[in-house]
Amino acid sequence: MLRPEEAQRPFTVTELANEIRRELRPLTALLVKGEVSGMKRGAAGHFNFSIQDGVSRLDAVLFADEARRVTTLPEDGQVFIFRGRIDFFGKTGRLSFIVDQVEFDDVGKLRARLEELKRRLEAEGAFAPGRKRKLPFLPRAVALLTSPTGAVIHDLQETIWERYPNMGIVVYPVQVQGAAAPTSIARALRRCNEEALADVIVIARGGGSFEEMYGFNSEVVARAILGSRLPVVTALGHTSDRTIADLVGDAECRTPTEAGARVVPKKSDLVALLRERGRRLDREAGQRIAREVERLTLKRQRIVQLLPALVRLRSDRLARAAADLARLSPVQQVARREEALRERSRRLTAAAMARLARGRTTLAGRRAAERLERALAKRFDIATSTLNHRRQQLIAFSPESVLARGYSITQDAETGAVLRSSTDTAVKRTLRIRLATGHLGARVEEVER
Amino acid sequence: MSEELTYEKALEKLDEKLKLLEDGDLSLEDALKAVDEARIYLKVCTERLEAARHKIEIRPETAEE
Repeated sequence: MLRPEEAQRPFTVTELANEIRRELRPLTALLVKGEVSGMKRGAAGHFNFSIQDGVSRLDAVLFADEARRVTTLPEDGQVFIFRGRIDFFGKTGRLSFIVDQVEFDDVGKLRARLEELKRRLEAEGAFAPGRKRKLPFLPRAVALLTSPTGAVIHDLQETIWERYPNMGIVVYPVQVQGAAAPTSIARALRRCNEEALADVIVIARGGGSFEEMYGFNSEVVARAILGSRLPVVTALGHTSDRTIADLVGDAECRTPTEAGARVVPKKSDLVALLRERGRRLDREAGQRIAREVERLTLKRQRIVQLLPALVRLRSDRLARAAADLARLSPVQQVARREEALRERSRRLTAAAMARLARGRTTLAGRRAAERLERALAKRFDIATSTLNHRRQQLIAFSPESVLARGYSITQDAETGAVLRSSTDTAVKRTLRIRLATGHLGARVEEVER
Repeated sequence: MSEELTYEKALEKLDEKLKLLEDGDLSLEDALKAVDEARIYLKVCTERLEAARHKIEIRPETAEE
């Protein structure tokens, strides 16, 4: 039974719920340490989980806005220090711890986990120099994975365009810190590779504390970098430690300026280099042609020097051949034989006359002139007849006697050349035919071979 | 031949031809051929330098899957 003093109007549930909320309001900016369990992501981008210490349990919620800002996302089984406030939800009748910041309970433990990840990756050969992809000498475009606002992207763009004024830049805005950073970076890396708008990737941020750099030490990011087909350059600022991203990346820089210089060559250098190549090429081509011209000139000079000697050699040979030809011609041979016979005949006559004279002297001496005269006359007759016989033979060989036997000599009327073959002339040529007596003029009607 | 040739590859080829020419062992015909080819590679290199498109493109993050 309610006592009379208690007989006042009762709260509605909502009124009481509101009352509870009001009472709980001072419980803000609380720090609570506990282990996470039952981590679940809601449709609106928030996270529900429990914080417990082995005895007590507290429902907790991390709203989407805070989830993007916090250094790290709570993970089941891990102990964190949570900052937040207590709220009561009338609709569900549940009391929740509204988290606005999550901090590692023990940085030392986190470092130990990081070392363990490093060891694992190292054992896989993820840091091996041989695994690293070569940066392109001249990319078509550079992909920048960084915060879309701030000095880093500005410095990168400035460095790249200062070195290479028409270089393409593709920016993939990513969260470079907070719990969402690892997935944001990994997703952007995958998109870079899928879209292939650039040939090299730069991941950049402007340094930070160990906790702020947490994303770059996560396995998610390490795996995404290792899985990238395009080379990845890190520029994560001046931090005390190299991150895992630095270790698995293909080139490690510190500042955006350094990274810009690493991925893009200086265009003016390339232009100068090509100009130098062009000059060398022109010089080589010019020299090669000049050398050839010189060689040809030398050859021409030698020919000019040798030409008269060559002509002389040939004309000498021709003259010799003509002489040989003349010596061997039948007319000359007949003439020579005729001359030889005449010479013999002269010698014979002379010898006979001398003999006769001697005989006469002897006969005169012996007074047997008649006998001697007879004998001599007989001998002389024999000699004379022999001589005549020879003369007849000689005549028989002469061209005239050949002609007398019915042969004829056919010559070309114009050139005078003696025709030995039907092929020495042609139809319509005029001929001169020499007979034993007289000549004929003729024209070729037909040539048979 | 220039479609898939990168700046670096074209430069490498250009330097090969230049070396052949500078060694001076080529016949006139081969030398003139090498000069022609080297000029093509030089042109490819120059084209590659200008091929990049000066622009900045922002690829906003897609909604989380």
